[in-house]
Amino acid sequence: MDFYFGLAQLIGVHTLLGLSAYIVLLTGQVSLAQAGFFAVGAYAAGMLTVLAGWHLVPALGASALCGGALACAVGFPALRVKGLMLVIATLAFGEGVRLFFFNFDYQIAKGELKVGPVGGEGFRQIRFFPENGWETWEVMLFIWVFVAGAMALLWWFDRSRYGAVLRAVGEDELAAQSVGINLTAVKVSAMTVGGAIAGVGGGLYAHYTTHIEHASFNILLATFAIAYPIVGGLRSVYGTLLAVIFVQGILVEGLRFMGDWRNLLFGALIVLAMNLRPSGILGKGRHA
Amino acid sequence: MSLLAVEDVVTAYGKIEALKGVSLEVAEGTITCLLGPNGAGKTTLMMTIAGILKPRRGRVLLGGTDIAGQAPHAIVARGIALVPENRLVFPAMTVLENLQAGAFQRRDKAAVAEDVERMFTRFPRLKERHAQQAGTLSGGEQQMLAVARALMSRPRLLLMDEPSLGLAPLVVEEIFRIIAELHRDGTTIFLVEQNAHMALKVAQHFFLIEQGKVTFSGDPGALAEDEVIRRAYLGSAQQ
Amino acid sequence: MLADLVQNSLDGLAAGAAYALLALGFTLIFGVLRRANLSYGPAIMFGCYAAALTHQHFGAGLFMLALVTIAGAVLAGAYVERLCFAPHREGSAIAAMVASFALWMQFEELAALVLPGHLYAFPMLHEGAPLALGAFTFRIDALVLLAVAILVCASLWWMLYRSRFGLAVRAVIEQPTAASLAGINVPRVLVRVFALASAIGGVAGYLVVASNGQITPMLGMWATLKGLLAMMLGGLGSLPGAVLGGLALGLIEAHSQWYLGPQMRDLIAYLLLFVLLAARVPWMTSRSAS
Repeated sequence: MDFYFGLAQLIGVHTLLGLSAYIVLLTGQVSLAQAGFFAVGAYAAGMLTVLAGWHLVPALGASALCGGALACAVGFPALRVKGLMLVIATLAFGEGVRLFFFNFDYQIAKGELKVGPVGGEGFRQIRFFPENGWETWEVMLFIWVFVAGAMALLWWFDRSRYGAVLRAVGEDELAAQSVGINLTAVKVSAMTVGGAIAGVGGGLYAHYTTHIEHASFNILLATFAIAYPIVGGLRSVYGTLLAVIFVQGILVEGLRFMGDWRNLLFGALIVLAMNLRPSGILGKGRHA
Repeated sequence: MSLLAVEDVVTAYGKIEALKGVSLEVAEGTITCLLGPNGAGKTTLMMTIAGILKPRRGRVLLGGTDIAGQAPHAIVARGIALVPENRLVFPAMTVLENLQAGAFQRRDKAAVAEDVERMFTRFPRLKERHAQQAGTLSGGEQQMLAVARALMSRPRLLLMDEPSLGLAPLVVEEIFRIIAELHRDGTTIFLVEQNAHMALKVAQHFFLIEQGKVTFSGDPGALAEDEVIRRAYLGSAQQ
Repeated sequence: MLADLVQNSLDGLAAGAAYALLALGFTLIFGVLRRANLSYGPAIMFGCYAAALTHQHFGAGLFMLALVTIAGAVLAGAYVERLCFAPHREGSAIAAMVASFALWMQFEELAALVLPGHLYAFPMLHEGAPLALGAFTFRIDALVLLAVAILVCASLWWMLYRSRFGLAVRAVIEQPTAASLAGINVPRVLVRVFALASAIGGVAGYLVVASNGQITPMLGMWATLKGLLAMMLGGLGSLPGAVLGGLALGLIEAHSQWYLGPQMRDLIAYLLLFVLLAARVPWMTSRSAS
C-alpha cells in the first residue's frame, strides 16, 4: 500500500508544479523557470524546518512567499521578451537558480551533526515527517490538501473576471491591451501566483523525499512542468491533473513492467498524444 | 477553352468558410479581374489556386487538369505563378537573387540568364538596383520585383493579388501599364483588385465576389461602373 | 597576468568553436522552422553513442568513428523531424517543443540501455603533450577543433551563398510563403536543412567527445543547453551571430572559470544571458521580432 501512497505523493507534488506552469501558460507565456521557483521553495522550507525548527505549515507559507516574490521579481524583466526568447530567458534563470544551490553552503551544528545544504552534495536529513511520526498516508493526505487548495484557487480564478483577463492576454495581447488591460500587471501577477504554487510544491517535495540536491531541479523538471498543462490542455485545471496522472502514474509507474524500455514507450506516447491532440487531452480537437 | 476553371471551391479556416462554393473561368490570353469588398475571399481564392491553402471541396482545372490540393511548388511547375498580396519579396536577398529564386525550378541556366536580362529591360529600375537588398527598395520597386520574380518561372497563367495596394497613384498607373504590356505579349492574367476603376480599364472580363460567393460575372460595361464600384467596396446592401 | 589572459582566451576560443558549431545547427533549424528543438543535443548524443558502441565492438579508427557519429546524428535528427516537427508545421510551436522533449527522454533511455555505465572511454583525437609555443600551450585536439570549425563555417557559407540549394534555404528562412510560390519544395528543404544541421551537430559532438576522451549520458543536455545559449547570445536566427555567440560563450566561460572558479563558470554565462535578454540588447531582438 505504501507504494501507492508514495506514488500519490509524487503525483500531488508534480500536479502543483504543473499548475504553477498552467496559470502562466494561460497568459500565453512559456516559462522554464518553474523548476527554479520549485527549488527555492524546497530549500526555503527545508531550511526553516531543519535549521530554524519551524513547523512545516508556516514553512510552506514562507516557501510560497519566496517562490512568489522571486517570480514577481523575475517577471518584470523576463516578460519584456516573448516567444523563444522568453523560453530561453526563463531557462537561463532556472539554471541560474540551480547553479546557485550548487554553490550554496549553509550548515549549522545540531547536536553532534552538522545540518543544512552543502553545495553539490545537496541538503540531507529534512526529517520533519519522520521526526513527528507521520505515516505515509498522512503525508499523502497533507500534500493533497495543498493540491486541492491550489486547484480550487485556479478553478475559481478561471470562473472569475481575472481568468477571463488571463485568457484574453493569452489569445491576443494587442486586443487585450486595446480594451485597457495592463499587460505587465496581468503577466507578472500570473507569474507570481505560479511562483507561489511552485514554491509550495517544492517545500512539500523537500519534506517527503528528505534529501534534495541541485541536480533534481534541472531543465528536465522545468520541461515536465510545462509539459503537464500542454499535454493536458489549457481548457481547465483538470487537464493538468489528468496529464500528471497519465505521465507519472500510468506511463512512468504503469510501464515499470517494461523495465528498461519504459522511457522509450513513454516518449512515443507523449509524441502520439501531441500529434493526435495538439491542444491537449482535454483541449480542443485536431481541427480547431 | 478556358485556361483556368474554378468549380464549386470551398475553402475554410477552421469552421469559418471563406469560400462557399466559388466557380469562375479565365479564358486564355485575357486579363480577367476579380473585384469585391475586403474579406470577400479574394486572397483566399488566389491562395487556393496557388496551392498555399487546400480547398475542402471543389476542383481547380488548369487546361483541363485538376490541380486542387497539390503542393504550391507542383502548381508552379504546371505553369501558374502568383504575385502575392503585399509582394513578399525576400528582403535580405539581392534583386538578382530574388529573380533567380523565381526561376528555381528551371535548370536551363542560359535561358534563365536571358530572362533576367529581359526583366531588366522591362523593369530598368531593377537593373539599376540588381545588387541591392530587396528590402531596401521602395514599395513600387518591390511590386515590380514581385511581378518579375513570378514571370521568371515562365507561367502560362499569372495571378496577381492587389498589385496596387499601398502604392502612390503614379506608381499604380505604371503597374497597370505593365499589366497591359504583359497582356499584349500574350500572358494570361487573373487579377484581384480593390481599385475597380483601373482594373475595369484593362480587363476583358470580370467577376464580383461577395461573402465567399461569385455574385456577378460579365464584361466591363455590363454593369454601370458606379454600381460595380459600390459593390466592390461595400458589398450588396441587401446581404 | 597578461599571459594568463591570453592563454585563457586561447582555451576559450577552442571551446567556443565547438559551441559555435552547435549553435550553427540550432540556428539553421530555428531559421527554417521557427521552432526550438530540445532534442537537438540528445540526437547528437545518439550519434556519439553509436560511435562509442562501434568502437567497443569493432575498434574502428578515428575517421570511421567520426562518420558513424555524423550518420547517427543525422538518422536521429530525421526521426525527430518526422515525429515532432513535420506534424506541427502549421500548428502549435509548443506542442512541437513538448514532443521534442519526449524524444529527448527516449534518447537518454536508449543511451542508458546500450551502455549502462555512467562513463565510457572514447578514443582521443590526440594523446600526448600539447604544442608549446613560447609561454603558451596549444592542445592539438583544440587546434583540430578550431580548424574543423573554420572549415565547416566556410563550406556552409559557400553552400548558402553560392549554390542553388543555398538560395532555396535562404528563401525559406526569409519568407516561406513566397519561397513555395517561387516553386521551391519547402517541406523537402526543411528536411534537408534538418539533416544538415544534425550533421554539423554530429561533427561538433564527435570533436567534443574525442577531445574529452569520454562520453556520459549528460552529453545530450549539455549540447542542447550550450547550443541554445550560444545561439541566443549571438542573436536568435542569425548564422554569423551563432558563430560569434559560440566564441563569446567559450571566452566568457574560460575567463569566469579562471577568475571566479569552476563552480561559477556556468552561473555567470546564464546570468549574463538573462540580463542581456531582459535588457533587450538590439542584436538579440531585431531579427526574431517577426
